[in-house]
Amino acid sequence: MPLRTTYVARRCITMLRFLARRGVSLVFVLFSLTFLTFMIGHLAPGDPILVLMGPRRDPATYARLQHLYGLDQPLLVQYGNYALGLLRGDFGLSFQYEGRPVRQLIAQGVGISLTVGGLALALSLLLGIPFGMLAALRQHSLADRGIVSVALALYAIPSFVLIPVLWAINLAAYRAGLPSLPQAGWGRPEHLVLPVLVLAAANIGYVIQLTRSAMLEVLREDYVRTARAKGLRYWVVVNRHVLRNALLPLITFIGPAAAFLVTGAFVVEVLFNIPGMGRIAVEAVGRRDYPVIQGTTIILGIAVVLMNLVSDLLYHVFDPRIQLID
Amino acid sequence: MNVQPEQTAPSAVCGLADELQAPDTLRAPASFWQRLLRSRVGVVSLMVVVLLLVAALFGPLLYPIDPTRADFRSINAAPSLAHPLGTDRLGHDTLARLLAGLRVSLLVAAVVEVINILVGGLLGLLAGYFGGWVDTVIARLADMVFAFPGLLLAILVGAVFGQWVTEHYGSTARLVLVAASLSLVGWPLMARYVRGQTLSLRERDFVLAARALGQRERGILWHHILPNVAGLVITAATLDVVNAVVGEATLSLLGLGIQSPATSIGKMIVEATPQLSQNALLVLAPAVTLAIIVLAFSFLGDGLRQAFNPGER
Repeated sequence: MPLRTTYVARRCITMLRFLARRGVSLVFVLFSLTFLTFMIGHLAPGDPILVLMGPRRDPATYARLQHLYGLDQPLLVQYGNYALGLLRGDFGLSFQYEGRPVRQLIAQGVGISLTVGGLALALSLLLGIPFGMLAALRQHSLADRGIVSVALALYAIPSFVLIPVLWAINLAAYRAGLPSLPQAGWGRPEHLVLPVLVLAAANIGYVIQLTRSAMLEVLREDYVRTARAKGLRYWVVVNRHVLRNALLPLITFIGPAAAFLVTGAFVVEVLFNIPGMGRIAVEAVGRRDYPVIQGTTIILGIAVVLMNLVSDLLYHVFDPRIQLID
Repeated sequence: MNVQPEQTAPSAVCGLADELQAPDTLRAPASFWQRLLRSRVGVVSLMVVVLLLVAALFGPLLYPIDPTRADFRSINAAPSLAHPLGTDRLGHDTLARLLAGLRVSLLVAAVVEVINILVGGLLGLLAGYFGGWVDTVIARLADMVFAFPGLLLAILVGAVFGQWVTEHYGSTARLVLVAASLSLVGWPLMARYVRGQTLSLRERDFVLAARALGQRERGILWHHILPNVAGLVITAATLDVVNAVVGEATLSLLGLGIQSPATSIGKMIVEATPQLSQNALLVLAPAVTLAIIVLAFSFLGDGLRQAFNPGER
């Protein structure tokens, strides 16, 4: 059918135009991320080469190291080289471990951080959506008020307050001889429980509120009343008509959630002693290993940018009514 | 969040309009304070915030115990008359440290908000009022900062410059650096609020009237736009205090916040967490204080928002 073809073609064109525009802004964001990070690292006080050389100071070694790190070139050339390297996945060389690529140091942490963050994201959706639904379907009830208060509390409590509380409970359980979890560490599946709970907590509160308000809005729509009026069963209406429309806004939650997980990862990885990206960055801070700090910053930044892009695209795929304008 | 403060249009124009539209009731409209104090949450949160400020400002006068004095006769002590909240493992009085920490936390937050208002507010005002290339440049600046998720930029700045600033300029400069790095992350939000508000104010009749009367751009900005943005700015800054206090605590956790011997609420929590099993009060006291700060400033911010625009709810 020609009409259908035109429709599909038009949507494809909108999509392409959107992708082009997003591509331009993506390039700008990546430029900002890398340029600011590079400049801050460059302005860093102290001569990294002198630090690296330690007590053995002679001009020949200095020149050799300066050349090895490319610090003898003009600033813009240095940035250009750095950016080109990034495109190849090359994040430069670590200051702390002489000549060791940053990429190698960070690589071990990426998977670990992704595991913890991904599980936290999944848990927040798994717990947040049902409770948000329950609250909306029983609006003004005791359950609703209870869920809303808990959601608010979860959202407001900072993770480093939640962590001591969980530790205290866990410790009490251990002392009472009840089953308990390891307080911190990494390697076994039990180690995941507490960090994932802490990281998910705030997002659970956020998802509950999002789901609840979206459900309430949809429940008031005419088509829901129509569906009920024509005799459809309550649960069928909730499943087919309400839920599908109400869960759509949750896709937009992915972007901010990713940003939140990044900051959360620092806190959780440091306190729970998890060797992820956050802890690698914090350890690099202690040793003033700027290339590693820059590398982790850029990777985390790019991860969030990509999550935002994916959530925008998904939103369009699921709801063609949404205009792709940014 | 969409905050719209009350309109304070020039009274000459406004008074005439009020007379033409006869009011339904004879009662005078509630003032800002009446609206704020009408809700119980508003009253309570305002009282708690005032109490917190008094404790932060005059704490050392009201409870004159040196937070850095080590009392070796009572180490990790339980609460007593001499030490109402007990002591830590070095014999420091917990209440005295809590007051000192509260002072630092709120001081950091105050500096953050002042910078946010001065930088973010001003840039937002300019972007909204002048539009065009001014708006574009400021929007791009904000976008550059937004490229860094969460506190990442503040962490980067603290990581690279922190130690050097402490070594060369002392601990006060470090406090300013911590606040400035948090503002670096926070100003675009303030700028965005103010820009939106200014955009809509710019088209209002009273601005047109002022321009028609020959007032210069600077006068319009200063006398007509600014007073109408003030409510929004105060509300946003109050709500953002929570971010500043929690942000400082997060930086402290990473070793990038306030440096010892000074302390802050967040730093106390972080430092006491490993000793949780020996002295739970050491974590509990600052954690509860932080919770109170978060709740009080959030609710006060909400109250202010409603008091500044009576129409919206």
